[in-house]
Amino acid sequence: MTPNAKTADPYAGSRDTTEGRVYTVTGGDWDSTFAGDPVSEERLVVNMGPQHPSTHGVLRLVLDLEGETVTKARVVIGYLHTGIEKNTEYRNWTQGTTFVTRMDYLAPLFNETAYCLAVEKLLGIEVPPRAEVIRVLVMELNRIASHLVGLATTGMEMGALTAMTNGFRERELVLDLLEEITGLRMNHAYVRPGGVAQDLPDSAEGSIREFLKIFPDRLGGFHRLLTGQPIWQKRLQKVGYLDVTGCVSLGVTGPVLRAAGLPWDLRKVEPYCGYETYDFEVPVETSADPFGRYLVRVAEMGESLKIVEQCLDRLEPGPVMVGDKKIAWPAQLSLGPDGLGNSMEHVSKIMGQSMEALIHHFKLVTEGFRVPAGQVYVPIESPRGELGYHVVSDGGTRPWRVHVRDPSFVNLQATAAMSEGGLIADVIASIASIDPVMGGVDR
Amino acid sequence: MSSRATEVAAALAADAGAGGQASESFGMWTVQVPVEGWRAALYRARDGHGLRFFDWLSAVDELDEGYRVVTHLLDPDTVTHLLVSTQLPLAEPRLDSVVEVFRGAAWHERETHEMFGIDFDGHPGLTPLLLPDGFEGHPLRKEFILASRVAKVWPGAKEPGEGHGSGPRRKAVRPPGVPDPAIWGPDAINDRG
Repeated sequence: MTPNAKTADPYAGSRDTTEGRVYTVTGGDWDSTFAGDPVSEERLVVNMGPQHPSTHGVLRLVLDLEGETVTKARVVIGYLHTGIEKNTEYRNWTQGTTFVTRMDYLAPLFNETAYCLAVEKLLGIEVPPRAEVIRVLVMELNRIASHLVGLATTGMEMGALTAMTNGFRERELVLDLLEEITGLRMNHAYVRPGGVAQDLPDSAEGSIREFLKIFPDRLGGFHRLLTGQPIWQKRLQKVGYLDVTGCVSLGVTGPVLRAAGLPWDLRKVEPYCGYETYDFEVPVETSADPFGRYLVRVAEMGESLKIVEQCLDRLEPGPVMVGDKKIAWPAQLSLGPDGLGNSMEHVSKIMGQSMEALIHHFKLVTEGFRVPAGQVYVPIESPRGELGYHVVSDGGTRPWRVHVRDPSFVNLQATAAMSEGGLIADVIASIASIDPVMGGVDR
Repeated sequence: MSSRATEVAAALAADAGAGGQASESFGMWTVQVPVEGWRAALYRARDGHGLRFFDWLSAVDELDEGYRVVTHLLDPDTVTHLLVSTQLPLAEPRLDSVVEVFRGAAWHERETHEMFGIDFDGHPGLTPLLLPDGFEGHPLRKEFILASRVAKVWPGAKEPGEGHGSGPRRKAVRPPGVPDPAIWGPDAINDRG
């Protein structure tokens, strides 16, 4: 029953009979994974996922067990592969933000900012100060939302359902703010090469200040609910261990690395977007276990609040997009009866008054701007670790190659190191503490 | 910080022999090494220069010049980092695996293998990572055509005038990544007649 034809389905061999073609569907890759005699062997192979409530998305695990001890953990990914890296090669540079925001969908604004920083480095431009502050502002709000989902899903996977409902409830507060600022709850495409798509609405500052008032108490709620709770501690402490040496050799970054004791945060180590001018701490734990990672995440949300407050205080009026009309996407957006679009003011200007503005608009929208040839690598600190963009340009209006170093992809490789030799129940705690987002892993 | 990167890049390029070359662009140093010296160069970077943090590895299709494999290495103590790259020939691109140098390279090499068709000698299990079983071709090569939008068109009207059955019709727009029907597809004009 080996499929010989090139077009044959690997899981459904076929043969021709008098009644037509007959397919024999087999059990996926299971035969090659488990060849032993299931009755007499001690070893037990368990398949978890890709659709499983505790595997943090469409992640599949194949675990070899002896009793309850995991002897081998294999991670199978690719169920959410969308080919975004390839797709960006066929769209212009500005359209790239619309793609990359969909990779790590819980940290969309980080994807957009890292991509735009790379494009801006190639262009050799600097964004206006107000745009930079707005970027930091929305990124830190996004970090809070992302860590809240991390906590919520960890709670769900550990059986602490109140942690889950609380996490998602508080996240709504942040998503409402992001919706007010960008128009969308996720996949914003708000950060664009050269600045941001539009200025903050007048109401945004008040809403964010209101959020800054109520959120610290909600954050304390996690400590009251979980931190001292014996079951939460027993499930998360002294399992899924990964020390600094292990992290460095596997390339693991983010809360996992900081919970192992290394204060590695690119906002401090290699500041970008002016992070060196903000006052905040890098929370570190030394337990190197999921409980330490949980504490790091909760503490980081508090630090993000501090940064958001500083952003509001230093917002000065000014442009949010570079002045160069050959780069700045013509998006004087306004909300019309048919949705968000170019403002009537802009349309009447390009149609009636300024031939030059019309040409810029036409060239930018149909063709896009050109980016000088070269390659750059720009890493930033996303909620899950180092998110980096390796962008290559051949001098044209479209990227030649965009490679994304996604922290979830790299960190997920540590699953085996964290869980082999431990109990099967602790595999769940380990993976939850990595907090992988499969959209980023598979891209 | 960057002065140390300059030193390390120069040293790595000198040790790589005739094909070694260090260059700076946009504030980042890139060391080019010959294909034969790839693994040795990464060993030297790790043990001799403290670049023990493996960040990522990927490739760039450079058409006739072949494939460029790029990796980013970092020294967490001094925050020194640089790119190391090597140029593979277009025909039969092969490279020594560096999993024995950096454990974390395993998935990156598997991804690069399936996306670019580059073989990594000595990799412990060079099986597809992201693509489904039975997938043919290497999607991140420039020669790969995004054909699924041709096989199954996106539903709904995309162009003005589509679906109304009247008025002059505009020329249909090809999906991104699909060549002209005259040179690719069932109606292609080719030598075979």
